[in-house]
Amino acid sequence: MFKLLSKIFATPKELHENGVLGMNARNYKFISKCNKRSLYPLVDNKVITKTLAQEHEINTPKLIGIIEYQHEAKNILDIIGDYKEFVIKPAQGSGGRGILVVTEHNKEIFTTASGRKITYNEVYQHISNILSGLYSLGGRYDNVVIEELVHFSSIFNNFSYQGVPDVRIIVYKGFPAMTMMRLATKMSGGRANLHQGAVGVGLDISTGKALNAVLKDKPVTIHPDTNANLMDLAVPLWREHLDIGSKAYDMTGLGYIGADIVLDKDKGPMMLELNARPGLAIQIANGIGLQKVLKNIDKHYPKNLNAKERVDFVLNGGKF
Amino acid sequence: MIKKIKSVRFVLFVCLLISIIVAATSTYYKVKYWGFSFKPKQSTGVWSIEEHISFMPTGEKIKVSITTPEDSDNFKVLDDSIIATGYVVKTEKNGQKKLILTSNPRNSEQNIYYRVMLFDNEDTKGLTKDIKPQAPKIPQLDERQIAIAKEIIELTKEMEGDLPEKLIHIFNQKPAHPLVSSYLPFKISQEEIAAAIRELLAIEKVSSRVVKGVKLEEGKKSLEADLMVEAYIRNKWRVYNIGTGKRGIPGDFVIFQRGDKGLVDIEGGEDSSIQFSVLKSLSSNFDLASHRARIADQQAYFDSSIFSLPLNEQNIIKWLSVFPLAILIIVIIRNVIGLKTMGTFTPMLIAMSLVQTGFVSGMISFSIILIIGMLLRGLLSKLNLLLVPRISAVVIFVIIIMQAMTIIGQKFSLNIGLSAVFFPIIIMAWIIERASITWEEDGAANATREIVFSLITAVMTYLVVSNEYIRHITYAFGEINYVILFLVMLLGTYTGYRLLELTRFAPLVKG
Ligand SMILES: Nc1ncnc2c1ncn2[C@@H]1O[C@H](COP(=O)(O)OP(=O)(O)O)[C@@H](O)[C@H]1O
Ligand SMILES: [Mg+2]
Repeated sequence: MFKLLSKIFATPKELHENGVLGMNARNYKFISKCNKRSLYPLVDNKVITKTLAQEHEINTPKLIGIIEYQHEAKNILDIIGDYKEFVIKPAQGSGGRGILVVTEHNKEIFTTASGRKITYNEVYQHISNILSGLYSLGGRYDNVVIEELVHFSSIFNNFSYQGVPDVRIIVYKGFPAMTMMRLATKMSGGRANLHQGAVGVGLDISTGKALNAVLKDKPVTIHPDTNANLMDLAVPLWREHLDIGSKAYDMTGLGYIGADIVLDKDKGPMMLELNARPGLAIQIANGIGLQKVLKNIDKHYPKNLNAKERVDFVLNGGKF
Repeated sequence: MIKKIKSVRFVLFVCLLISIIVAATSTYYKVKYWGFSFKPKQSTGVWSIEEHISFMPTGEKIKVSITTPEDSDNFKVLDDSIIATGYVVKTEKNGQKKLILTSNPRNSEQNIYYRVMLFDNEDTKGLTKDIKPQAPKIPQLDERQIAIAKEIIELTKEMEGDLPEKLIHIFNQKPAHPLVSSYLPFKISQEEIAAAIRELLAIEKVSSRVVKGVKLEEGKKSLEADLMVEAYIRNKWRVYNIGTGKRGIPGDFVIFQRGDKGLVDIEGGEDSSIQFSVLKSLSSNFDLASHRARIADQQAYFDSSIFSLPLNEQNIIKWLSVFPLAILIIVIIRNVIGLKTMGTFTPMLIAMSLVQTGFVSGMISFSIILIIGMLLRGLLSKLNLLLVPRISAVVIFVIIIMQAMTIIGQKFSLNIGLSAVFFPIIIMAWIIERASITWEEDGAANATREIVFSLITAVMTYLVVSNEYIRHITYAFGEINYVILFLVMLLGTYTGYRLLELTRFAPLVKG
């Protein structure tokens, strides 16, 4: 009995010794201390995030246009112009809700990423729904973001069941602190959200290579649907990924954020969105306690470095 | 940074200590000087009795005289009031206190309510002295009756106990004793037995009188006044139950009237009926506290406390007083245990509803509303409605479900159906909406888990707030809520692991 308990339960002491970060400590010591509330809109609104990112020369899908009011919805074809492929999403959406990926169209019939064909009217209706708040928290009125399509690199195809893998970087005071890749599964419905059942693969912060992987908070080594060996995963252009994370700090001033980055086969890593309350499952994916890492950054990492220097410092294993 | 946490925590900790000291002092004070108790039972001492008098006027001037109970060994009158619209009310103190109501002729049925509040008179129980009454008048009886009476008295000589006891015993024998049958040849009513026993007592030179009153039993409606015989024996008035012959006033018997006259005399009315209902007041023990505070000369402080408010307001405050504890539980469940629930205080509101509906029927009707609501909501989601109209539609679903359940509940007299209306409509609608969204996005397992966690939280909260003791204590010793306030604030600085994180992060440690 006791043995069984000690198998499923760790003692607080054990967690503490391993530097595991709990929810209460995350909220109290990191989020509320490092993230000023007034800065939240910078990450909660994708229009603002995107505009800022462009100013800071952070690679992000280019903004094609925004729609703020219902009466502008009919201008959609003008806004799209010559673009044959584009993405429509709510500015304040989350969890992938309300995202429409169009890969082809002739102004009347639109083909989505999944191959489904929809009419102009349906696209119009979708925009109208976003504007009236169907996908935003609490049903607030929202804006529509129209941006360029990301052509995902195919190197992760074996590692993901449908869906698009992305890299999540926890950035603490500008230093990339911990990273993981999120891979969609059948269970997650092709979406890369861990709580929906996506696989999280912890990545070595200095190499971008797989360290460890979890599914629903339990360790795994093989992708449940594609059977790919997750430990073979290695993210190319690793430095560029970290650069984005590091710059996101300068851009927002938020001391504790999660940056979501996808890999475009031509343009390289692109920032999709930022999150001011990133989850804690990343520790399980890495098999490393986050508090330990953050404390180390607090204690030993130099201040007053610029974004590039911070990445250098991290890539060098926390030394000059 | 760490220093700051420590100083905030220190300040809160000091506040907590202060609040504990204040609460402890005040508790001591209340127990010592106001006679408060930690047990809710002490609040049973106060009763309110309502006497409902109704009659048809005959068309003449109306005069109603009502005999009111007086302080006795057992009970003290706290307060009384009368509801009699249009009547002139006068008090007459001529021996026993009487209320005289007069009015010009009327023509429709008259209803008069007299209400009196009594409390256990612990201070004087058994201490009052009785004055020796005058010797009773010898009853006017014919010879035959006197002869029978003598024989009955002769019978009692061989029995044990007080004379009235023995007489009552003989009169109550079944089948009737032949002597009794010939003494009281017709159908025997309690009044007649009482009268007969008093005659026999008078022959033996024992003073006696009839006593009318009400037995205190909670929730009793439509009682008729009970009858007893009181006799002056061994220098004391002693009461005997006519039904059983048992001596002594039962602890819960309140005497309304002594002597022969009716409880209520009505002139200018007929077809009168008098009914009593008895209610145990929930929180009136605090009126007692006021009484005691007056005696203890603490009135000034007492007046400022909530216990000097009218009953109704006290009940509201009593209901509110238990909320902080419920909130503390929610905080613990979320931040210390780590259960994820739907909405922060939703489980608390469910718990509050459960208190009103009762646990089982509340849970069943909650589940029915939730399940039917989610099925209907599932149909809605196909329509792709906008949020506000969609949630509004769910609200209307909930209302319709509640109506249907109430009607069905009424038809088949099922409590379950009737309890549906106690759940807050908007909260139910949000639960349904949240659960459906989670169901669609994160799958059935996540949605079910969220609902189950919320219910577990609600049940735990319910177990606390439905407990009589706890409710009594949070109300009577309201200072405890300051302690809770600082506990909640201190929990706001708790940065340790949540219980469930110990298993969630276990793989990190065990390798
Ligand atoms: N520009 C884009 N091109 C292609 N796919 C995209 C694009 N933007 C978003 N997506 C898809 O939608 C998912 C969610 O997008 P994201 O911007 O993170 O929105 P959310 O805040 O709802 O999570 C991404 O993981 C990706 O699969
Ligand atoms: Mg996202």
